[in-house]
Amino acid sequence: MASGPAGPFEDTAEGRDEKLRELASQGSRLIGYFCTYTPVELIHASGFIPVRIMGDADVVEKAYTLVPDFVCPYVRKAVEKGLSGTYECLTGIVQGYTCDVTCGLVNIWEENIGGEVFHLLSLPYLDQPSSRSFLRSGLLELVRELDRAGGSFSMKRLEEALDLYASIRSLMGELYTLRYNRCLPLSAGEFLSVVQAGFITPPERYYPMLLELKKALPGNRSSRGDGIPVLVSGSLIEDGKTLDIIEQSGGLVVADDLCTGLRSFEPADGKGSDPIDRLIDRTMSRFPCPTRSSAEERLDRIMHLKEISGAQAVVFLFQKFCTPHLADHPFLNEGLRRMNVPSIMVEMEEAGINEGQMRTRLEGFFEMIRG
Amino acid sequence: MEKSAKSKKRLQTAKELPLIIAEYYQECHEAKSKGKPVGWMPPMNGAIELFYAMDLQPVFPENWSPVCAAFGLTRQNFEVSEGMGYSRDLCGYLRNIIGYVHGMMGEEGNPLGGLPEPDLMLPPNGGCAPVMKIFQALLRRFPAAKAFKGDIPQVAIENISRYHVDYAVSEMKRLIAFLEEATGRRLDMDRLRETVILSDRACELWDEIMAFRRYIPTPISASEIGIMFVMVTRQGTQIAVDYLTRVRDELKERAEGGTGVIENEKVRLFWDNIPLWYNMGLFNYFEKMGGVMVAETYSAAWSLRLDVSNPLEAIAMKTLISYPLVSCVSIRKRKEMVLKACREYSIDGAILHRNKSCVPITLGQMDIKRELEAQGVPSLIIDADHMDERNFSVAQFQTRADAFMEMLLARKGLL
Repeated sequence: MASGPAGPFEDTAEGRDEKLRELASQGSRLIGYFCTYTPVELIHASGFIPVRIMGDADVVEKAYTLVPDFVCPYVRKAVEKGLSGTYECLTGIVQGYTCDVTCGLVNIWEENIGGEVFHLLSLPYLDQPSSRSFLRSGLLELVRELDRAGGSFSMKRLEEALDLYASIRSLMGELYTLRYNRCLPLSAGEFLSVVQAGFITPPERYYPMLLELKKALPGNRSSRGDGIPVLVSGSLIEDGKTLDIIEQSGGLVVADDLCTGLRSFEPADGKGSDPIDRLIDRTMSRFPCPTRSSAEERLDRIMHLKEISGAQAVVFLFQKFCTPHLADHPFLNEGLRRMNVPSIMVEMEEAGINEGQMRTRLEGFFEMIRG
Repeated sequence: MEKSAKSKKRLQTAKELPLIIAEYYQECHEAKSKGKPVGWMPPMNGAIELFYAMDLQPVFPENWSPVCAAFGLTRQNFEVSEGMGYSRDLCGYLRNIIGYVHGMMGEEGNPLGGLPEPDLMLPPNGGCAPVMKIFQALLRRFPAAKAFKGDIPQVAIENISRYHVDYAVSEMKRLIAFLEEATGRRLDMDRLRETVILSDRACELWDEIMAFRRYIPTPISASEIGIMFVMVTRQGTQIAVDYLTRVRDELKERAEGGTGVIENEKVRLFWDNIPLWYNMGLFNYFEKMGGVMVAETYSAAWSLRLDVSNPLEAIAMKTLISYPLVSCVSIRKRKEMVLKACREYSIDGAILHRNKSCVPITLGQMDIKRELEAQGVPSLIIDADHMDERNFSVAQFQTRADAFMEMLLARKGLL
């Protein structure tokens, strides 16, 4: 068992496959998703537990019978685990349309791995009355599909789910504030475990875990070293070791623009005259992901995060072959350079990162900043 | 065979194509010089009919990439975009067009005069991620262009519901309002109806042309796929209808006369995924052993019909349907299409181009392969890239293609 305040989260994240099987054996019905644009509150309100599919397979072999080697390692690994039976406990997959690859993956999963429910939710990009009305129809269509699979949706349950997830996100927001103020005594890897545990733990159990964590934190300035404060930007990071290497090489992760991070939690809630409207409002106000926004919008957000966190540099950590992130990178890199914010880009492959090379590059990068 | 080889065109009408292409680009430049608004837009979209109905000039930056490939300009464009930091792992269309607009565009000696600068820009919110990112980058390059950002629901064809159509129609109405405001021109609904009738007639002719692939020997092959140019750039015009009518008539004559594209057709092949635009000669490679590339996936994007009684909904539906027809939004639908084509065209073997530049079309190919094999159609995977010849090995292709052809010939007792 891991020790320290993040211990329970590390144990959960570490034993996630076992936890899923345990949940299923206890009678819970699980719906998997790849991307945080999936309406987890609605899935929960239909009586299912939404769980994010992770791709932490050690070796990828079988997946190549279904996907090419030029899709991101996360997808390859997720398919590997799917084919190995890890996700047999899922009732199905629901996915908000974000990147092309995860969209295709829903189809591939349905054809080859199986389940009862497969739903791809088309999300509007624009925020206008007709877009909200379109999303409302899409969400209600999803409710009907989940009901057909034995779901038991009600507006009251959705209201409760929205409250619960909003409480979780608000608490995470508080942890982020502590992090910005250097009062969070967790390494970047430990913090990632806190986030990851939330992807597979039923929210009614996860919320008390977060309350316990908050209680255990001293609340004063932590002594996590004097590394260069950095913001990490990218999509999914599955292995906390990747983030720990940044901190061991002379950096200190104080902020992130990750979908295994802040992008999952901002904003905590939405407003609306009924629960569906509230869910729509949050979806339309999400922290921008590159699949759904331009690099210009993202640069503004990154600069804002830099300001509030005191980050001095940006480390882009990309899944190799990730089109939305790679396509935004030249503009972001140039924009940051113009504002004298140093940045570096590291790509993660199937075997994770090339540790030695990453350490050398990062050490050089931080030395350069220190002058 | 060289890395960049042109295909052999046997149809007289296919030989007319260079002129049709030149005339289109000449029209684009004339429009610019006469002050007719020029708008850049993605292909496979109902905006083309609106443009022609409003006498605006549509330009398709995505289509410019195959032109660059045919003229051997991609390497130069890639150097520019890669120098700007665009990764080689990104789609070749994206790297080519970004390199072009930041590089040789506007310089002397551009083939066909190059692309005219846009007055209008239609960046899509929908379709594939590279296309969205292309237009975001183009907006940066041409900040003076008036831009309309419109949503396109991303939904599998078999799952399209009324609410998807309604939203697509409402976005079309917004686009019309934008175009009227930006150009000072009014859309005449009767003109739109005429345009949609022409567009639908082109689709009908397209299906008639595709149907000639059933003939043995086939009077048309993938080498003639360039005729698709009029579907990309001229849909909704009499030019497309007239040209496709001539193609159809020529094919009818050849089919009835038993004239195939090669003399001794032995093996009928299918190509899945986008062609190698820099090496269209690849389609002819199999011919030395009696193999004909009878059909390919990409042409399916225009196998649809438009409801001429409701022009606005018709172009909204076209926008909804075209991209999913050739992507991974519904792998089941795409698999059905490939299998149907293989059945109807009596295909002996399929070449699956595993295309590093296009993940949406490549995803699901393994499912297609398995299903083809279950139905007795052997297939061969070729690793390549529709734009970047650095990701294609001719020698490896030839070795594998020869072995595949030998196997197919042996299966038919022809070896």
